[in-house]
Amino acid sequence: MIKRRQFIPLFLSGITFSLVVACNSSQPYANGIPLGVVLAQTSNAALLGQEQVIGAKMAEQYFNQQGGVNGTPIKLALQDGGGDEQSAINAFNTLITQEKVVGILGPSLSQQAFAADPIAERAKVPVLGPSNTAKKIPQIGDYIARVSAPVAVVAPNAVQAALKLNPNLKKVAVFYAQNDAFSKSETETFQQTVKDLNLELVTVQKFQTTDTDFQNQATAAINLNPDLIIISGLAADGGNLIKQLRQLGYQGLIIGGNGLNTSNILPVCQKECDGVIIAQAYSPEIDNPINKTFRETYVAENKKEPPQFTAQAFAGIQVFVEALKAVDQKNKISSLSLEQLREQLNQAILSGKYETVLGNISFTPEGEVVQEKFYVAQIKMDETGKNGKFTYLK
Amino acid sequence: MDLNLFLQLFLNGLSIGSVYAIFALGYTLVFSILGVINFAHGAIFTLGAYFTYTLSGGVFGFNGLLANGKLPFQLPFFVALILGSILAGLASILLERLAFKPLRVRRADPLLTLVSSLGAAVVIVNVIQYLVGAEIYTFPDNIYGNIPAAINFGTETRPIMIRTVQVIIFGVCAVIVALLTYLVNGTKIGKALQAVAEDETTASLLGINPEQFITITFFVSGLLAGLAGTLVGSSVSIAGPYFGISFGLKGLGVIVLGGLGSIPGAVIGGLLLGLAEAFVPPDFSGYREAISFAILFIMLLVRPEGLLGRKRIQKV
Amino acid sequence: MINFLNTYGFLIVSMLFGAVLGLSVYLPLMAGQLSLATPGFYALGGYIAAILSTQVFKFTGTIFPFPFLLIELLITTLVSAILAIALGIPVLRLRGIYLAISTIAFVEILRVLALNLEITGGAVGIFGIPQPFATPLEYLWVAIPLLILSMLFLYRLEKIKAGRAFSAIREDELAADSMGINPTYYKALSFTLGAILAGLVGTISAHFINTWNARQGTFDSSIIYLAFVLIGGSRTFWGPVLGGIILTALPEVLRGMGGMSSLPLWLAQFLRDGRLIIFGVLLVLGSIFYPQGLITPELLNKIARKNPFRGILNKQSIKG
Repeated sequence: MIKRRQFIPLFLSGITFSLVVACNSSQPYANGIPLGVVLAQTSNAALLGQEQVIGAKMAEQYFNQQGGVNGTPIKLALQDGGGDEQSAINAFNTLITQEKVVGILGPSLSQQAFAADPIAERAKVPVLGPSNTAKKIPQIGDYIARVSAPVAVVAPNAVQAALKLNPNLKKVAVFYAQNDAFSKSETETFQQTVKDLNLELVTVQKFQTTDTDFQNQATAAINLNPDLIIISGLAADGGNLIKQLRQLGYQGLIIGGNGLNTSNILPVCQKECDGVIIAQAYSPEIDNPINKTFRETYVAENKKEPPQFTAQAFAGIQVFVEALKAVDQKNKISSLSLEQLREQLNQAILSGKYETVLGNISFTPEGEVVQEKFYVAQIKMDETGKNGKFTYLK
Repeated sequence: MDLNLFLQLFLNGLSIGSVYAIFALGYTLVFSILGVINFAHGAIFTLGAYFTYTLSGGVFGFNGLLANGKLPFQLPFFVALILGSILAGLASILLERLAFKPLRVRRADPLLTLVSSLGAAVVIVNVIQYLVGAEIYTFPDNIYGNIPAAINFGTETRPIMIRTVQVIIFGVCAVIVALLTYLVNGTKIGKALQAVAEDETTASLLGINPEQFITITFFVSGLLAGLAGTLVGSSVSIAGPYFGISFGLKGLGVIVLGGLGSIPGAVIGGLLLGLAEAFVPPDFSGYREAISFAILFIMLLVRPEGLLGRKRIQKV
Repeated sequence: MINFLNTYGFLIVSMLFGAVLGLSVYLPLMAGQLSLATPGFYALGGYIAAILSTQVFKFTGTIFPFPFLLIELLITTLVSAILAIALGIPVLRLRGIYLAISTIAFVEILRVLALNLEITGGAVGIFGIPQPFATPLEYLWVAIPLLILSMLFLYRLEKIKAGRAFSAIREDELAADSMGINPTYYKALSFTLGAILAGLVGTISAHFINTWNARQGTFDSSIIYLAFVLIGGSRTFWGPVLGGIILTALPEVLRGMGGMSSLPLWLAQFLRDGRLIIFGVLLVLGSIFYPQGLITPELLNKIARKNPFRGILNKQSIKG
């Protein structure tokens, strides 16, 4: 054990240590083009962050095998963004000034993006949000874009799909996680859609992403006899809510928002997941060569279908790689200064068109993603209630 | 409000309250002896759930150091539950040795245990994440045999549904309280515990070894935490390493409401909070979290020692 | 060096904020009151700044005018003080852990309010908060004065009647009362001063981190701020200042060490992914090996005796 006297010197040496590191400057592109990745590897956002890290690493390996950026490989500089704003900002700062990255994929949460993206904007470093879906993210600045489609487009499709399954449905109950920016934005769209379609909104129930027991909310909603329940939440809470609604006797349709589009909810609600309609920005069924390879690689390693967050992180890296290629074709990357490279990379990102695992995407001049297709899937569980899959609804 | 709705809300409250209560039992036990709050209780609760999951043959996900790992053997759920709880109890003893005892020996400010136990909680949570990732783990749904998912306490036409797992938790909660009350009030060990709680120095003069009883207390507290963690986990899945931490704050409210250090108080506090939350009108569901703390706040101003707490010399 | 300042500018300013937040917990503790309300007032100050600067103040150009920031600070001071007095008078009758828990309840109620109210933006919060400075490092222009003024204030406070009344109450409230010190008044005073400091840090932080939401200043941070004081030392104001600086820096220092290329791979890996494990271990070790905190009055005395620049440290540490 550390003796009392050694404690302070240890502390101090730690600090000096990091000063020394900070002052080292890195060689340009000898080890590959540094691309920053800030995702939640700790805190309770890690469930989402871990899926994203897998996607980013898969992309690094895949695109480097394909020859990287016209022969030069990319090198991911991974930093833990945690679940809070301060950590994300610190991670951004480290990557921008110390690792000299050309661009950043991240952070995991919308709230973190509002904090950290302005840092990158001021430093003129292009940022791609892999999972930030709240309103006004691309508007933070010229260098901020995202591959994660805002829910506004996805949500109405799901309600339409539900109407197709049950044309007589009338009463709708809405649930959302009030402490989650993603769910809060999404529910507004869902509620608007319900009104636009002249359905009756019988109740809006709020919960927290940390909640586990939904007995109160579930029975309150069930007592109003809704035909459709729409849930905006994340995997653990959403899965539990579905399970408890079903166990308490609800038999109508359920729509899960985009936050529930992960196979992580399957173990939570098990056989009760069956029949849930999910709004998707990514579907494993997307039919293009890159998604086929992506899906096969993922399934081979992890024995389940790739989740949306993994796919979006993968697509984010792809956009960076292809935009870097475009820059390199105009002017050799090694001939550009870091500032020039970052600026031209940003322009290239926004002007390109990409065939990704998400289907075809491009960007508006503001940096909002334009995604060609969205998907609505229905969960089908097998008899054991252990395995299930998202089947694409036409 | 018609009777049916009232009954539904009432049972809802009991069902949620019993989860709060079962969490709070081990929490309050440590306070009753040492007069300090153990912030790592939520982490031990989580740990217990992971222990049982592992012992009952659960497979880990593909994140963390032990990716895709599992034990070479598989225990029946009830054996795993008991073993897992015992392991949690042992972890709790270890926690006491590393984060509580050194402070007691050095006669440090009792407040400092808040910091050291928080540090221990940070370590436990992050070690879990480091080893098995942040994924959600779920017990198979037939661990209690082939029971119906929910029980109807109402009629066919006006159902009052409560999930069976919740009824089990409620029952276990009642049994634990009965056992603990007997242990504390009806046995020699209990008398000695009370003596240690009252005054350590006098107790040691009477030939009671306080250290031994502190160890026992931490073991029982950890055992209960592990048991509670598994039961709650079987009801709602183990939602990652922060699973237990999210109960910590509510649990703190519960034991203060019931009276710090009082065992029946923890149960009554838990049930009361559950009931209060159940009767929040649906339109104000967003304020549900605040209501439990508002009650706590008012309670503290009116009767600081809690519902069943005794006025006592301040230890913290 | 410039590189270093750019990378760690944000962290350096955060460290100073950490020091002031430590002082905010330390103030009530001077009078023996364990209040964990600091994150609540921190959040409140942040919301005041966020709402005023995005919805009320009108200005042109990209830089938020400095005088507006001062107005925000002034308003925060007033609001925090009023709320602290209103809250403090009933709550400060409670002792020890009961006081701590009632202040936690207060923080939690504020958080839920922020999630539900329209004006605070719910979970998304308020974003696009304008910047009074061009770079994070320039926030030192407010962070340094704020820290120095609070330290000077505490240095003076420990000498005048109020400070002595605080320590008298801390040592023995009944005895202090019988000596003609009004405990309620002084307890409320220390609580209010602490609340104002927290509010001020929150106000600047809202600009500093560009956005503000209900996740700022929650229960988790309560205990971390308390750790600032207890690990730093709770018997002199130098303790919370040092504690705040060190504990804010620690996770980031570990991040920096994880990024070093000269380390063996497994160690770098562990530092990166396991840095919170190390942080937790250091919290435990810190409380075990420094039960009085890193800085004790005795230590200050020792330093003062060796130090040619006697004076400041010396006088303040005598009464310990």
